Amino acid sequence: MQGRSTLKGIGRAAAIILLGALFLFPLYWMVTMSFKPQEEWNPVGKTIWWPQNPTLDNFKQVLGMTSQNTQFFQASNTDATQPIIHSFIAAGGGTILALIAGVLAAYGIARFRAGGRMLPFQILQLRMFPPVAIIIPLLIMLAYIHLFDTFWGLWLVYAAVTFAFVVWLMRSFFQELPREIGEAAIVDGCSQWGAFFKAVLPNVKGGLAATALFVFILNWSDFLIALVLTTGKTMTAPVFLNSLQSAAAGQEYGPQAALGLILILPPAILGFAIQRYLVRGLTFGAIKR
Amino acid sequence: MEAPAGIPARQAPPKRRLPGSSAFGGRSEKGIAQVLVTPGQLLLLFLIGFPAGVAIYISFTNYTATTGYPWYDAYKGWIWFDNYWEALSSGGFWSSIWRTLLVSVLAVGIEFALGLILAFLFLREFRARGILMVVFLLPMMVVPAVTGFIFYMIFQTSGPLNAALTFIFDTVLGITGPIHIPWLSDPSIAIYSVIMADIWQWTPLMFLIFLSGLVALPEDQMNQARILGAGFWHQLRYLVLPMMKPIILIALIIRSIEVFKIFDSDWLLTRGGPGDATTTISVYLYRQINENYRYGYASAAAIIVLIMVSAFAIRAIRPIEAAQEETFEELIKPEDGGEELHIEDAIATEAQV
Repeated sequence: MQGRSTLKGIGRAAAIILLGALFLFPLYWMVTMSFKPQEEWNPVGKTIWWPQNPTLDNFKQVLGMTSQNTQFFQASNTDATQPIIHSFIAAGGGTILALIAGVLAAYGIARFRAGGRMLPFQILQLRMFPPVAIIIPLLIMLAYIHLFDTFWGLWLVYAAVTFAFVVWLMRSFFQELPREIGEAAIVDGCSQWGAFFKAVLPNVKGGLAATALFVFILNWSDFLIALVLTTGKTMTAPVFLNSLQSAAAGQEYGPQAALGLILILPPAILGFAIQRYLVRGLTFGAIKR
Repeated sequence: MEAPAGIPARQAPPKRRLPGSSAFGGRSEKGIAQVLVTPGQLLLLFLIGFPAGVAIYISFTNYTATTGYPWYDAYKGWIWFDNYWEALSSGGFWSSIWRTLLVSVLAVGIEFALGLILAFLFLREFRARGILMVVFLLPMMVVPAVTGFIFYMIFQTSGPLNAALTFIFDTVLGITGPIHIPWLSDPSIAIYSVIMADIWQWTPLMFLIFLSGLVALPEDQMNQARILGAGFWHQLRYLVLPMMKPIILIALIIRSIEVFKIFDSDWLLTRGGPGDATTTISVYLYRQINENYRYGYASAAAIIVLIMVSAFAIRAIRPIEAAQEETFEELIKPEDGGEELHIEDAIATEAQV
């Protein structure tokens, strides 16, 4: 028996290590690429598995801290600092709007059954539609009211797109809260609003923070909406990454990898901060741990 | 995964409504409820309702981005259902739908299997379990557009994947020559490269969902089964899978919904090409907008897609809704009465077979 379980343990360790290597390799490749000088990006006939002459040049170029020596950066005469800042503004503003609308609606649905049984369904159903399917009228409409390529345009669209997540997540948090908490505050003389802000919200602040970070990650990760609805003025970082890829100048692997690494840092850090809520978030609150 | 701390235990929601009265702060409950949902409703009206109207209107016209008049004058090019007939009889439209379904089925199927295997591998405590978990969760946090770029590098014909394959099969095993698989430029291979990138990114979600499900399985039933001599496959088939069914269903539904919308990684990987070999439905619609500027036609195609998705969505929402109503523990506990699991019976049945 002892021998058999040892064998099993070895088998399991081997399986985990093999799969782990497969899952880690893509990230390993991007991270090491971001420190490689140009001649090591994709040399003909050999593969550089580890940077031979590690450099910070890629990051400096992306952040505009050095004279830009790859063809794309010379041609476009721009760096990624503005797009990165745009990404923060767009994702942050969209998150705030989605939270304001979503938290109130979730409370209404959870506590007062606002909209009956159908409203939460309809909200979730919206999430199932490919965003590209409504992007044309959005483009037309935002252009018509002069919100094309503005932060307000992005904020409103992001808020509408992530609204369903906020409603369903916060609804699940409100439902976990004993109803008496709000009622006690009202008995103590609070108005409904006072009870909501002073008694109910403080008791779900963990869930609220998790929801906020979760929605921020979603907005930060958006590519398609910003691709269609922004050009230069509010172009976000993923769109900039895409323009590097399509530049006729060639494959700017190093700077792209550096930008890619910068782009995944916020969601990676925030993601692990809210790890125990991730499943709940990604399943619309259906699975609660 | 430790139990969420600081969250009070959930209590059953009261069945009856509280009496709506002015005693609760001056407004009736119905009024309060309406006020609470109004901002959200305005947001959805502005960004879903109004655009939906515009999309339906435009879809009946031959409006394009380069047409000389503003969108509200699109009626000048009114063509009734021509756009719809064109989409429904277009090979490109249908092939992008089938391609999307292929991606969905393969990606979700493999993610399911891999996620379940990983969850079993990580079920018991072992050294470095925490840090290894991080390795398997990281891909989920990567911005999908960045995923596309990463795999764009890896799938280059002169890239690291072919180099690694050459090393294993040529240098070490000596059974092939140098390997030059055109992962992205061969139309019959490219779609599988897109699928592989999706599997890399989203297997972690399945893994996380299944692991939290497995951890929560009632320990005594599993032990009982083990004592009775049930092997791994018996336990899996008669205990684990039946009890995990609601969770598995939710995981499959949610991944299917998301992968059906696949765009970001696909676009950075192949831009839908070569030709239209990786043109999924989102890429197809985007190309209509961005390359052909055919707003009228793209709107009609989008509406057809929305109708198809709705048919699926209405069914798919129910399990998610049902799960929200219950707590997680209730969800995986065998229901009272009818569906009670009889381990001894199950094992006996299997033994006879």
